Amino acid sequence: MNCARLSQVLDAWLDGELDAATGAEIEQHLRGCAACAGLRDGRAALADRLRAGTLAYAAPPHLRTRVERAIAANAAAAPARGGPTWWQAAAALGAASALGLAVGYWIGKPLPESLPGEQVVASHIASLKPSRQLVEVASTDRHVVKPWFQGKVDFAPAVRDLSSDGYTLVGGRLDHVAEGQAVAIVYRVREHVISLFVWRAATPREEPLALSSARGFSVASWSEAGLRFAAVSDADSREIERFARLMQAQR
Amino acid sequence: MTARFEREVLTHLDAAYNLARWLTGENAAAEDAVQEACLRAFRFFDGQRGESPKAWFMTIVRNTCLDGLKASRSAHHEEYDDEIHGASAHDGPDVAAARDSDARSLHACIAGLPREYREVIVLRELEGLAYREIGAIVGVPLGTVMSRLARGRDLLQRRLLAQHRRLAP
Repeated sequence: MNCARLSQVLDAWLDGELDAATGAEIEQHLRGCAACAGLRDGRAALADRLRAGTLAYAAPPHLRTRVERAIAANAAAAPARGGPTWWQAAAALGAASALGLAVGYWIGKPLPESLPGEQVVASHIASLKPSRQLVEVASTDRHVVKPWFQGKVDFAPAVRDLSSDGYTLVGGRLDHVAEGQAVAIVYRVREHVISLFVWRAATPREEPLALSSARGFSVASWSEAGLRFAAVSDADSREIERFARLMQAQR
Repeated sequence: MTARFEREVLTHLDAAYNLARWLTGENAAAEDAVQEACLRAFRFFDGQRGESPKAWFMTIVRNTCLDGLKASRSAHHEEYDDEIHGASAHDGPDVAAARDSDARSLHACIAGLPREYREVIVLRELEGLAYREIGAIVGVPLGTVMSRLARGRDLLQRRLLAQHRRLAP
């Protein structure tokens, strides 16, 4: 391996895209060549800066809603593949009026009160992506987390201290559940992250604790005082139920 | 909307927006492009059985962005300039929120890279995609992904160095 060849393959090697034999040749060359080792150090420094920088843009919360609506509208207007002409679309709409109605119902329907499971799980999963921030306000102090929500949402979510029960407060963020704005209060228990979503209920009905699961995540949801609560985690359902009961008990 | 579409495509909405935002340089244009890309993806999703739904979706996102950029370029009757366009990106509120000048200068340097280097850097460094996936998205062979990443990182390092010298002589 000479220097010219090394400069061609260094990046692929650092990115883990080369076979072990070539990797060994590269390592051997780097041991004996200060100039190429300098090149590698430069790349390592760049990688550190890229990792430290907040460079990835997360989709704004309203974009998902916007996309879902556009797709629903599109599916209702153009069920034929490949783009129908005007009269085809009209004919299809007539023929598929039942479908159209169903889609219209889906769009106009308020947030399901009793089954937010899949929606909160989707939001929870999204928050765990490396490109996203798990929390926007990071603090184990509930007197820091709670005031942070002030002026950002039109309700005041209670933030509880459950540290003596093994649940460490991580912080909070603004999020969304289906179409509505929600706050997420994040806790950690052992290695599990728990997102507690809170949003305004469409009807001020009290609902008892209900357990469900979706995509391998456990969900505990309930309603009280005009707010909906849903706790989501990959911890097992007993753990999430205990967490939910403690939340309620502190009321 | 099917559960499979939700699971295999919409789950990559952040990645899609990230790529679109870096390609277009604007929030509104990125949102429009992502929405259009989702509609296109939804239309052709049934016939799609690729091994990487993410790479497939990101290909559509990229093509949609390039279509949009082409359209706005011809609408303005002027040559699209990556340097100028990229530089405008650091006026946005997202960047104002960047905590320190180090992050800001890094952001500006990436935004100022020519598109062919910027996109492979975003896909590799921010999305962590494999060369094979990047090649599929950008539509170039593996060797080209390799050389563009190497050249892109060279450029980035050089520009960061130049900026550092300018700011701290």
